[in-house]
Amino acid sequence: MKLIVAGPTGTVEHDGGKFHPEQQARIFSVMNGIRALGLEDEVIYPQTPKAGLTDLTRVHSLDYLTELEAFCVKGGGDIDPDTFARSDSWNAARRAAGAGLAAIAALEEEGEGVAFVPVRPPGHHAERDRAMGFCLLNNVAVAAASLTARGQKVLIVDWDVHHGNGTQSIFWDDPDVLYVSTHQFPLFPGTGRAKEIGGPAAPGLTVNIPLPAGATGDVVRAAIDHVARATIEEFSPDWVLVSCGFDAHQADPLGDLALSSGDFAELARMVNEFTPRPGRLALFLEGGYNQIALEMSVVDTLGALLGLHTQPAAPTYGGPGMNEIRLAVADRHRAMDTLQTTMSSVEGEG
Amino acid sequence: MNTSPTVVVGYDGSADSTVALRWAAGLTKAIGGRLRIVHAVGLLEHAGLLGDHVTADRETALGVAAGAGGDPEQIEWSVVDGDPCSALLRMTTPPQSADLLVVGSRGSGAHEGSLLGSTSLELAERSVIPVTIVPQAREAEALSTPV
Repeated sequence: MKLIVAGPTGTVEHDGGKFHPEQQARIFSVMNGIRALGLEDEVIYPQTPKAGLTDLTRVHSLDYLTELEAFCVKGGGDIDPDTFARSDSWNAARRAAGAGLAAIAALEEEGEGVAFVPVRPPGHHAERDRAMGFCLLNNVAVAAASLTARGQKVLIVDWDVHHGNGTQSIFWDDPDVLYVSTHQFPLFPGTGRAKEIGGPAAPGLTVNIPLPAGATGDVVRAAIDHVARATIEEFSPDWVLVSCGFDAHQADPLGDLALSSGDFAELARMVNEFTPRPGRLALFLEGGYNQIALEMSVVDTLGALLGLHTQPAAPTYGGPGMNEIRLAVADRHRAMDTLQTTMSSVEGEG
Repeated sequence: MNTSPTVVVGYDGSADSTVALRWAAGLTKAIGGRLRIVHAVGLLEHAGLLGDHVTADRETALGVAAGAGGDPEQIEWSVVDGDPCSALLRMTTPPQSADLLVVGSRGSGAHEGSLLGSTSLELAERSVIPVTIVPQAREAEALSTPV
């Protein structure tokens, strides 16, 4: 299987200082992981031009984009206690979003393989008109919207330790996108309850599986199996995009889940099963702030997808969360009933 | 059913949020309302990269509110996951359903007229309930408390 690497971006620009965890060194760790796969000349590196306004305005308001650009032109600053922008961050964010588009184009050209998008700043917290959680533009959403604009159905699986509030809100009422997230809860950003299931035009197409601190890889896999699999199979996506945060790793400083790098390998294999055919899977780097864990996770995840003998770390078992999975199923059912009742009454009034 | 109005104030330990808290505590005392002090915890604070603000801020905030005449029985401290704007906006919808948001005017990263970097301006733009932005510390100290 071919590996397409659309990036790296953010290796120089968008500098938050050495004490900020979302730093350039993350990309160097990721690229070390890619080199450790030993594929050398077999890796395809497509050109990654900056995303243009046509692509960006599918998911972000023009007002927000204009304001973000102006903010950066004036030198940037702190957007909130977590999120910064510098004078070159507008271009860095557009390059990150453009890399996702390049990954999709390369997959279509090759007709096979898997694409990895090692970019920063990350994207899944960025909302239609808001930056937050280290994110300025929503990279995976820009790529997904480029596909739905062509009539394609897209599954986004988000296994970052944090809920992807931005991606959820952007596609909340979009029947062409199924968003599935496993994440620690409670935790930043405070969204992602199981009862958040999507809007009237996309009932059930948001699948949130909040998990407690300490949850292990077997729990995350069970969560996808028990809560999301049936919905995914019914949805039958044309493309599978992954918000591939590695901060659910047990060594990560920003989260409290307990996965190993080998668990990401298992998750990658699982998610790959949801693709309709080869060449329809792209993974977008989101979080991941322990450099060693990040490198190992890249090796194990991509190694598993490519069928390499990379000797991944042992998967983890036995953490808490099975009860939360049962509760998530029940909460989704209740929320679906409520939404359908509301929709029926609205139709009745009409 | 408790019908006394609920005032939510954002507090992060800064001088400006302290002024806002003092103003909000005075207001709730004057109108017989309830005061919820909200401290938003973001990614960096959760990771301990900004120090442990929560414990210290709680004690300080409750002390400031009491000092402004707030009834301790009517004051609640809440730690909410999220960026400050999202955390406060969440207080405006059920089940919290606050009646008024109060924030300081600080915006250290903001440029004039830009929502980016300014929680207060962003709240004013997005909130569905009234928002009071208490002026910057040096000006607000002179104003002290509401009428």
